[in-house]
Amino acid sequence: MSPLAAPDVEDIVELTAAPLEPWEVVVWNDPVNLMSYVVRVFRTYFGYSLERATQLMRAVHHEGHAIVATGPRETMEVHAQAMHDYGLWATVRKAAR
Amino acid sequence: MTENVVHVRMARVEGAQLAQLVDDFRELVGSDRDATDPAIGRLAPDPYPDDEDASRSFRDATREDLLDRRALDADVVRAGLAELRGDLDSMSQVEAFMEHDLAIRQSDVDAWLRTLTALRLVIAERLGIENDDDHDSDDARFGVYDWLGYRLELTIEAADEIL
Repeated sequence: MSPLAAPDVEDIVELTAAPLEPWEVVVWNDPVNLMSYVVRVFRTYFGYSLERATQLMRAVHHEGHAIVATGPRETMEVHAQAMHDYGLWATVRKAAR
Repeated sequence: MTENVVHVRMARVEGAQLAQLVDDFRELVGSDRDATDPAIGRLAPDPYPDDEDASRSFRDATREDLLDRRALDADVVRAGLAELRGDLDSMSQVEAFMEHDLAIRQSDVDAWLRTLTALRLVIAERLGIENDDDHDSDDARFGVYDWLGYRLELTIEAADEIL
């Protein structure tokens, strides 16, 4: 089917039958990673402000972990992989309801 | 338009030592890599600690590419350090401690930061560093680990200036 063709009604029904469940990326505390580095990664990769990135870094450091992104599972896996590229310890899990 | 550059100053002896470490790292993540090495596990952590099936399919789909990217990052750093290589034994002390200015292109900065971080992760794995207070100042390898952290901090500071 052409990607430009209008979806038929059945597709729409299926989509409503299986609502998108939110997932999240969690970054965990690791003694190896420098605070300035974690802040920089959150700023440059997610585009977070310095304030937000610092707040998340503090949560990782003091509470042991922080939820850094929420959304569809596939997207969260892409983000987790990017965090692994930067050497951060990230996991993916279903968001709490 | 000319690309922004991050300047890092480093003694020849530091550059030569870093080049050696990056060479070793390049071998670790190279084509003959040992998937069972715990250091590889540290570089590519498990995304689903409670779901072995999901973790396995994630690993199967992504791990090789991730390690290939670490090798490419390491090559960027090796190229950047080329002028500082040399046989330390045949260098005079003045030569060894002479500071060099390394100009890292902005587009290469992340490869540098990721590589310095990856080197620390591998050393941390070898030394069993799992908590903030795991530290033994009598072990020379901790000296290398701390020095890499200092180098990384300076590079981040310089890189953040043009963020």
